[in-house]
Amino acid sequence: MNHNKQQSSDGGHDDDAALSDFLASLMDYTPTIPDELVEHFLAKTGFQSPDLRLTRLVAVATQKFIAEVASDALQQCKARQATVVRDKRDKQQKDKRLVLTMEDLSRALHEHGVNVKHQEYFADSPSIGMDPASRDE
Amino acid sequence: MSDGGRESERGPEKPAPQRKPGGEEFARAFVKVAVAQICESEGFQSFQQSALETLSDVTVRYIRDIGKTAHVYANQAGRTESNVFDIIQGLEDLGLAQGFLGASDIEHCLASSGTVRELAQYVGESEQIPFAYSLPQFPVVKDRKLTPSFLQIGEEPPGEHIPAWLPAFPDPGTYAQSSTPNDRTIELKMAKIEQENQRRKPERSLLNVNQWLASNELEGPSSVDAGDAAKAKQAAAKAKQAAESNPFLAAPLQYGEKEVSSVVLPAKTKLSNDSTTGNPISKYHGMDNHVSVLEAFAPNIEAMKSGLRDSEEGHKKVLLNTRPTVQFKLGSGKKYLGSMLDSSPQNKSFEVNESWFGRLNEKDDKKRRAEQILKESMGNLQELDHL
Repeated sequence: MNHNKQQSSDGGHDDDAALSDFLASLMDYTPTIPDELVEHFLAKTGFQSPDLRLTRLVAVATQKFIAEVASDALQQCKARQATVVRDKRDKQQKDKRLVLTMEDLSRALHEHGVNVKHQEYFADSPSIGMDPASRDE
Repeated sequence: MSDGGRESERGPEKPAPQRKPGGEEFARAFVKVAVAQICESEGFQSFQQSALETLSDVTVRYIRDIGKTAHVYANQAGRTESNVFDIIQGLEDLGLAQGFLGASDIEHCLASSGTVRELAQYVGESEQIPFAYSLPQFPVVKDRKLTPSFLQIGEEPPGEHIPAWLPAFPDPGTYAQSSTPNDRTIELKMAKIEQENQRRKPERSLLNVNQWLASNELEGPSSVDAGDAAKAKQAAAKAKQAAESNPFLAAPLQYGEKEVSSVVLPAKTKLSNDSTTGNPISKYHGMDNHVSVLEAFAPNIEAMKSGLRDSEEGHKKVLLNTRPTVQFKLGSGKKYLGSMLDSSPQNKSFEVNESWFGRLNEKDDKKRRAEQILKESMGNLQELDHL
């Protein structure tokens, strides 16, 4: 039970206090996704709230979601790089650039319930069938 | 983190050229930037274009899903405005796929929901990543200047049926005729039209002359002005020339103006209905095409010549193309599809000609002359055949 910043108080008000404290702390924390953007998309769905803290809450939640997906994709990417064993390690470390690819992303999103299927290749480019990490689109 | 600190390979946003501008593009571009920043903080150094777009699309959907779910819960509770508990419920719904602490609790207080706790944890642990750009408030609401109503202007609406609170009519100067630069183009067009009209005038007078020549036989152009008399004569001369060169310009005959004989079909009617296709039939024997063509047009030539004579009398004749249904062929031993000529072609042709001429009631001397000319021409053709 991690509470962000808590004065421990007993009773059911504990949770409410925690919540209100958390919301207050949100005003200090600036989420990466700006408020105007979140408000724009929320307005499209009919979400009405004059309270800015709620918008911040949504922004933070989205940011957390994206961060989770990105970290999963990063793990996939690193795992892939680890399996590609080179003969001469000292010559070229696998410190290639970590590229967010569609493959890793689709696997990461699949765990979160989003099914993304990406077209393998379009037969109109000369770099077809190459290692996706080594070609940047 | 400033712009210089970003290592992502994507440069500043430039939308794809073939995308048509829409309100969504602006917002999506910024979402891409934000998502790129988040991924970069996780450790990625560069992105695939399609991967970034997919992820930003997922982000937008996530935001909209939270909003929609929160709105639904608020409506369920009988409210129009959402509050924090609606959002928490929405987060729980969305987070069920991944799972959170306490998800299996049937009854639990929303304030102590696992999602909130996880969020709080995240806020506490992660560092802040301020957005790279500063966003204006969007979408910008344009200030529209509405047309003032009658009441606001202080005018009386021009009619009892028009209430005064409706917007006023535009200034009549804006839609009425006036000499503005726009009208100059209209005036140019008018000038062009006038030129064309003037050009068409002599043509029209030509047609008029033809018509009253046909009807009045040069009696008295009463309807024509004196000033146009000279023009009319010129037009008449032109008409003659036109008729000579192009028979289609000749004025049509009135009904009953010219006596025509009734059609007598020959006995052999195999090709009688193909009188107009005499030309293609003759072409089948493609030896001397020009000969057969000439002979096919022989009646036309004859009619034209007679027409020449008659034009002086003010008659214009329609060429009797389709009148003769008899096929006559010039004399050589040509075989035809359905040979309808019993006797030797040579004699028969001449006989047919004469009989055809005999059928015509009008037998002027000029006609005779035309016959002779035709015979001579046919005789020439015969000589050609012998060559």
